[in-house]
Amino acid sequence: METTDKTDERRWSELMASAQSGNQQDYRQLLQELGNAIAAYLRARFGNFNALEDCVQESLIAIHDARHTYEPARLFRPWLFAIVRHKTIDFFRRKQAYDTMLNQHRHPAASHNNTQPGADTDISSAQLLALLPVQHREALLLTKLQGFSISEAASQLNISESAMKVRIHRALQKARKLLEAEFL
Amino acid sequence: MMSSRDELIARLSDNLQPALPGMSITLKSIIWWLLSWVYVVTMTLVMGPLRPGVLIQLATSPQFLIESLIGLLLSLSLTVAAWQTATPGALSRRWAYLSLTLAVLWLSNYLVGFIQPALEPSMSGKREHCYFETLLYTLPPSLVACTIVARKLLPLKSLRTGLLIGLAAGTMPALFMQFACMYEIRHILERHLLPGVLTALIPMLVLPLLLIFLKRKPNP
Repeated sequence: METTDKTDERRWSELMASAQSGNQQDYRQLLQELGNAIAAYLRARFGNFNALEDCVQESLIAIHDARHTYEPARLFRPWLFAIVRHKTIDFFRRKQAYDTMLNQHRHPAASHNNTQPGADTDISSAQLLALLPVQHREALLLTKLQGFSISEAASQLNISESAMKVRIHRALQKARKLLEAEFL
Repeated sequence: MMSSRDELIARLSDNLQPALPGMSITLKSIIWWLLSWVYVVTMTLVMGPLRPGVLIQLATSPQFLIESLIGLLLSLSLTVAAWQTATPGALSRRWAYLSLTLAVLWLSNYLVGFIQPALEPSMSGKREHCYFETLLYTLPPSLVACTIVARKLLPLKSLRTGLLIGLAAGTMPALFMQFACMYEIRHILERHLLPGVLTALIPMLVLPLLLIFLKRKPNP
């Protein structure tokens, strides 16, 4: 596993250096490999949640925008996963607001069919969720990964919406710290 | 049929423009540090002379020399740390601890100084407006750094980066006032170090606002 990481590290660094010079083919290959790596990274930590693909694509866009900040003399993985961690937590933070806004503008029926809460969410392999305290895990799982609204999640757990918001906030803070601790 | 991710990758890599990183982030930070020192020293000397006998004091008081060297190293380590936080994954935990250790050491010097000061407390060289001078000399370098960081780099934790930029910029005039103004521990803490630290709050607020402003601007 460590050898694979080192091989990836070197190859990704070389591909990025080539992409920084304008090589489209190398860049396409790099983004393909990074897309798969990011998906695997997120799946291992949060399970197979609904919006995983959105999260991967947001990370790829952020990597594209930030590609000039990578220095080939430095390690690639810390640079990559600092961006992925940031985009993931940022994505979870914005998701609730985005879903609420989207549902207000959609036909209720269409909205219901499109984002059925709880659908396709498998967290059996979610290492990071397993490290969170139960209350934080439930909050993150229901609202950010399974797509329930804050009020729906709060009523499921028999707590107030304010308490739910506090739990989500703390869960995200804890999740960010755990993700950062992996790479520092 | 292409998946949405494949489509995105094709779009991102189509007509790819070169995006070379330029000089290393550490080199950029050291250049900013040197230019900031030039600005701080020049402005301080324009506003008034150094304290009489300060060079002799440096040569004859090892405690004063060590105190000053630690301050100098602290300003450098904070500068490098600030610029590294503006680049994803660049700041190592070791460097962060080094900066923290130097900060604790530097402040400890002054706390020890209450019992055993490096120099005999004196009003010699007193500047009337050293507090405002420190504030004034901190701002331009920190605002320049904020602008460069916001335009060219990617500070994922903008509050932290802004704070570190402010502290790095604030340490320089705070330290140089030890040579230009009177030496008395309470005066140093209240009139030299405090404004240096307080000014750090400004880039901490300015940098996130700059990032929001620049993000809203349409791409050329």
